[in-house]
Amino acid sequence: MKDRLEIVASGFGGQGVVRLGQVLGEAAVKEGLRVTMLKSHGTEMRGGYVRAQVVLSPKTIDSPMCETPDFFIALSSAAYNRFKDTVSVSGVILFDPAFVEEIDETLECAHRELPAKQLAMDNFGRPIFSNSIALGAMAKLLDGEMDKEVILESLLEIIPKFHDDNRRAFQVGYDYMS
Amino acid sequence: MKRFLETGNFAITEGAILAGCRFFCGYPITPATELAEAMSKRLPQEGGVYLQAEDECGAMHVCIGASLGGMKAMTATSGPGYILYADPFGWALGCEMPLVVVNSGRVGPVSGITGAPGQGEFYLTRYPTQGGNFECITLAPNSAQEAMAMVVEAFYLAERFRMPITVLGDQLITDGFEDITVPENEDEMKEMGFRTWPRGSCAGPNFYPFTDDLDIPPVQMGSGAGGLCSDWTPTEEGYDIEEVEAHHKHAYRLIYKVRNHRDLFNHLYEKKYMDDDPDLVVVSYGTPSRVVNTAVDKARSLGMKVGALRLINLWPFPDEHFTRKAKYLTVELNWDGQLVREVQRATPKDSEVHFLGTCGDLPTIPDLLENFEKLLKNQPLERKGWELEAW
Repeated sequence: MKDRLEIVASGFGGQGVVRLGQVLGEAAVKEGLRVTMLKSHGTEMRGGYVRAQVVLSPKTIDSPMCETPDFFIALSSAAYNRFKDTVSVSGVILFDPAFVEEIDETLECAHRELPAKQLAMDNFGRPIFSNSIALGAMAKLLDGEMDKEVILESLLEIIPKFHDDNRRAFQVGYDYMS
Repeated sequence: MKRFLETGNFAITEGAILAGCRFFCGYPITPATELAEAMSKRLPQEGGVYLQAEDECGAMHVCIGASLGGMKAMTATSGPGYILYADPFGWALGCEMPLVVVNSGRVGPVSGITGAPGQGEFYLTRYPTQGGNFECITLAPNSAQEAMAMVVEAFYLAERFRMPITVLGDQLITDGFEDITVPENEDEMKEMGFRTWPRGSCAGPNFYPFTDDLDIPPVQMGSGAGGLCSDWTPTEEGYDIEEVEAHHKHAYRLIYKVRNHRDLFNHLYEKKYMDDDPDLVVVSYGTPSRVVNTAVDKARSLGMKVGALRLINLWPFPDEHFTRKAKYLTVELNWDGQLVREVQRATPKDSEVHFLGTCGDLPTIPDLLENFEKLLKNQPLERKGWELEAW
């Protein structure tokens, strides 16, 4: 892993943005990495977005802020518009077209579309599993940086219910990115 | 040792328990609510007591009661609650009750924004109560792991100095997640540099030595030695006396027991690139110091001779770090400039002291680098409408 990997996830309250960051952070701890994760939510973000900023490193992490994220998981158009310009030129924006209808073609970074909400509805009939689908997709994008199985193990640890469905949802996201 | 991803609130809770804290009374407030929540879960598991008070003033009074009862106690809040500690804080200082007080700073004044960090209580932790004639000790960690360590250290100092100690954090430290390592036994605590001091019990008949002596056990109600829990000037035996000569002795003790034993905590600081007489010294504490560290690394790689001084022990202010005439810049989470005033006081006459403040969010690395460069080129800092002209 490079010295510093930055992941931002942002969307509405209730989408599980903080949980998503927490799962990736916990998996990184299991991989022996140093981790910081800032969460912004509540009245600070009235009408806006919830954001998790995750920094992973093999070394001690000084600044916990994601100023040029390598990955940005955009789960609302407000969040997309707010943070798209910060993404590193070699970075990836993972977005759900159910929430981010229009993307900025002028950006140098890559865009990867993940219809997580639609996949959740198609496979489980409920949008609640879109978060686990997004984590599966991230596991694919982080291939080589982090072990897929460790991310899944952390997901099941942090979300103690519906293990079978979450495991399946994770695989749906992973396969979609493959 | 256990290692996992958790919040600073959780880390502080574990630190308190490791230090022997078995009593917590507080009033929930973001970003310290999860600390109260964690305490309410963890203390009963350890045979301790968790109480929620009607407000912060009541909470700290209750903690003093627990301390008088022989327990190591802690309370935690944010700025709007810390100001309500003013009355009991004075009582704890005057009657020398060991206690640990955690303040997780959020942007103010008044209620401000619950989910945004702030550093508005720099001076308030020095003057947390009225009346003067006392010194205070404040420790300011910059990470969840260090918050755990500083809470353990605060309990150690609280016992030895027989006084309340403030641990000053901010919303990013308490609410933010980080990989933390928790020691599981005394050997592991020692390995991590944690030191503890047992709660003693003053045997009497003299309760107060009017000297700067440390390690006088606090009074314990019900132990047969009597005790002082009045807020008037005490005699050596712990009786009330409104008399100036006695008050002089009392004030001397409250000030000089701290000033004369700074060696117990003045090692708490961090220096980076400070060995080659840097042209610019960036001074900070708490979370901003982490951004400063990254920015200073980058500045050095760009050939700028910049050093970083991070204060952990804020009060009594460590003047000894500011003997060199140099260019200083303080980076703070406020727009009014607080630390800068103290740096200006402590530095040699005619030193250049500058201020860069942010309000509710951290400074960015490009912003810091731009300002380092300007200062090194003797250019004025870009005015963004908030820096006081005086700085």
